[in-house]
Amino acid sequence: MNEKLRLLVGLQDLDMMIRESKEEEETLGFKIQNLEKLHAARKHLAKQIDEEWLKLYERVAARHGRAVVPVEGGICLGCFMGLPTSAQIKPKPDEDIRVCENCGRILYWL
Amino acid sequence: MCRCGAPIGRKGSPSEVECDYDSEEGGETVAQNKKLEEYFDEELFIPEMKASSKKEALEELVDALAETGKIHDKSLILEMLERREALGSTGIGNGVAIPHGRSLAANQIMVVFGKSSKGVEFDSMDDKPVNLFFLILAPPQDRFNQYLPFLGKVVELIKDGAVRSRLAEVGSFQDFLKVLSEGQNDE
Repeated sequence: MNEKLRLLVGLQDLDMMIRESKEEEETLGFKIQNLEKLHAARKHLAKQIDEEWLKLYERVAARHGRAVVPVEGGICLGCFMGLPTSAQIKPKPDEDIRVCENCGRILYWL
Repeated sequence: MCRCGAPIGRKGSPSEVECDYDSEEGGETVAQNKKLEEYFDEELFIPEMKASSKKEALEELVDALAETGKIHDKSLILEMLERREALGSTGIGNGVAIPHGRSLAANQIMVVFGKSSKGVEFDSMDDKPVNLFFLILAPPQDRFNQYLPFLGKVVELIKDGAVRSRLAEVGSFQDFLKVLSEGQNDE
């Protein structure tokens, strides 16, 4: 997988974890002790991402909730629109990150 | 705000359609109707784990998923699980650990059950070794909102000491399903 995309996926996983930690603690009884560590890990991870891609991630996440979405069968699973035929093939690891032309989300091939 | 974090607008507004989650009400119904045992898979049942440390236990559970081809990137999942453990151990005490989390590397809810007779040190809340492991993974795009209700069901079931004792004795996947099914009926 493209290293930039890998970092963005990691960032999104962290964001989901931070978002759901309160519910896990209050509803399910898991002990959340180190939320500040997770925020620090997020900061550290964000620093490793190119500013351009980080800005895009933050902008799309603020708008849609999730910035990185899977592609399955040539469909963006964020907006459920088919990708153009030329963009449907899974990119090679050295290719740049692709974005859905319809919704602007960052695409991840399953 | 939707569970996925997306803003929700009024009905029919553009922001409403941005969200790819189903309504909470509909999602809860689907999750509540699905029986606990329907989430488990014989290929993801480990009757005797080899792991002797927390790290090895997480790896062994994730390996089971990787071997069935159900995940695409083992290291992404492990990274996520290790970060979740740093947030607070998922060893909830009484010999049970429920490592869990969401990752794009998982395309559906997946559960691995593993049993360790000798027990594994897992930084549990009660500092006791863990004998029963439930690894639960979900994709971020959990359309029917099954993940947290499912996690809640497992936590609820495992609170029952009789269920825990029976699970510690199961030798086959069929026995395991029987305990799950009967455990839910007893609630």
